[in-house]
Amino acid sequence: MLQADTLIINHVAESIIPESFTGNLLDNPIWFWISILQFTIIIRLIILRNKKTDLLTNDELNGLKESKNNSIDMSGLMNNINYSRDLYKELSKKCHPDKFLDKEVKDQADLIFQEISKHKRNYKQLLILKQRAQNELNIN
Amino acid sequence: MWYKLHNIADWFIDLTERRRVIKDFNYAAKDAFIQGYAPTLLQAKTTRGDSYYRHSFSKFMSGGYRIKALSGRPMAKSELIDIAKIVLDDESLVRKLMSLGWDTLEIHDSQGFHGIKYPLKEHANLGGFLGN
Repeated sequence: MLQADTLIINHVAESIIPESFTGNLLDNPIWFWISILQFTIIIRLIILRNKKTDLLTNDELNGLKESKNNSIDMSGLMNNINYSRDLYKELSKKCHPDKFLDKEVKDQADLIFQEISKHKRNYKQLLILKQRAQNELNIN
Repeated sequence: MWYKLHNIADWFIDLTERRRVIKDFNYAAKDAFIQGYAPTLLQAKTTRGDSYYRHSFSKFMSGGYRIKALSGRPMAKSELIDIAKIVLDDESLVRKLMSLGWDTLEIHDSQGFHGIKYPLKEHANLGGFLGN
């Protein structure tokens, strides 16, 4: 019974699997060349993938990674909410162009005043402008 | 089939990001309040948002970013507008909120239902990318 089953299985296997599969791979030139072609395609894809990453410099790659983990400066936002209004009022009073008589200083004050109005809700920028006003307009 | 799994993974990543933005804001607000820098305690949370302000990346039923201000007294509308304008002036924050699925910024008083709301898409300076 067992021998009969084995014979049937062998017969079915021979009918399904082509002859070219049964021999050694290198015996049949078609399968050899197909495997070479596949190998070449794989190598080519690996080279292409490496080339894509080479297009970006290390700095650009680092920037890309940082931008993914970029978080918003919430403490800066809190400073903007809590302090920017008072600092804006103080600076707009001190740096108003009408307070200066000298034409050159007045022009400088005009520029700084425009910047102050532009960044009226940005505490960090207002601090920088305050420093600039102290240096250029000699205010306290 | 595999892209469905990616979608599920992206959904979880977005959820984590959204929670992190709210958590960071609340920590910074609490810190400023406890240390005495801020007279008002602010708290952020997610709400339903306004359906009129929806955009293509809006999250379903959770498009509102509400900032609740606890000052111990009813706040004037001008004060609420000030807070909203400061948040809306921060373009990177607005863009981040939009990309994470929020569409409405709501600033609310702690007492009553008084509040203001703004559509985020109008303050993100959209559409300038291809022109430059």
